[in-house]
Amino acid sequence: MTAHHEITAHAKLVEEVATAVQAVPGVAFLRPGLADRLRSAPARPTPGTGGAPPAGVRMTRPDGEGPWHVEIHVVALRRARTLDVARLVRSAVEHRLDSLVPAQQTPRVTVTVTGLV
Amino acid sequence: MTDRTDPSNSAFTHADDELLPCGRLVSRTWDDWEQQTDDAHLRSCPHCRDAVRGLDDLESVVRGLRAESADTSAYDAEPLTRRIMDVVRLELRPGRPLPLGEPAEDLWIMEAVAARALRAAAETVAGVRAGSCRLVDARVDGTDGTCDSGGVRLDIHAPVGVSLPELTDRVRARVWEAADRELGVVLASVDIRVTDLVAGTADDGQEGRTP
Repeated sequence: MTAHHEITAHAKLVEEVATAVQAVPGVAFLRPGLADRLRSAPARPTPGTGGAPPAGVRMTRPDGEGPWHVEIHVVALRRARTLDVARLVRSAVEHRLDSLVPAQQTPRVTVTVTGLV
Repeated sequence: MTDRTDPSNSAFTHADDELLPCGRLVSRTWDDWEQQTDDAHLRSCPHCRDAVRGLDDLESVVRGLRAESADTSAYDAEPLTRRIMDVVRLELRPGRPLPLGEPAEDLWIMEAVAARALRAAAETVAGVRAGSCRLVDARVDGTDGTCDSGGVRLDIHAPVGVSLPELTDRVRARVWEAADRELGVVLASVDIRVTDLVAGTADDGQEGRTP
């Protein structure tokens, strides 16, 4: 796989995870990333996608081929219990990744609630 | 599961970089948007317009979410713009994360977010105004490295002419309940400090004031 394809695959994985998180009941939206967008003007598109990556999802593999470390920054609805929402988000990420890359080791998922609306 | 350590925020924080290309601070432009300041620069500058376009988009999203919700709690009555600004200001100054849930779950909430919810809960007691709200992370302060529950230290202004022990008991109960039911944070202690006594006003008889 070329570097370009790896970047594209990674960006698609991030998009898939972002979509799964946004579908979780009690999630208002991913961290908006407004400050990031302003600071990177003109916006730097993600190679291969033509768009900026979701600000609230970061996926890394600290050990190269080891398990993913997925960091989610999310704004939750106040009417839902924050802890329950965070647990559902973690669960959604784990399930989505398991279906997308089933052979991978269990990811480490970190969820941070950065706002309530 | 992993050992609990602070989540890596390196990719999310740029607290020292707020300057727009036009020379204005992002925070000032956002403040002006919130205050609806009539400013010719704000209207004409493309960088400032970009800075508030995202806020406009966010306002539309949050307005839609509120329309879907039947929630009529005190916190929900806050001005829409303030709630949006709470979210975006945390992007500039994210503060510190506090653990949510059980040890090793790797779930977090930003201290300012939790503090706002607890202050709003305290202010549902008639006549109470909440001030500084500090959440203590026992995990950091503890000596054995375990993830014990933390506590909250809340300053309030109390109305004159009421029993302070009874009042603080009610505030403590509201804060405890909000931490458990709304956030899911188990508090080891709720320390209330009455920092001032204030004369009541006409609207103090109604519970549900928001900050």
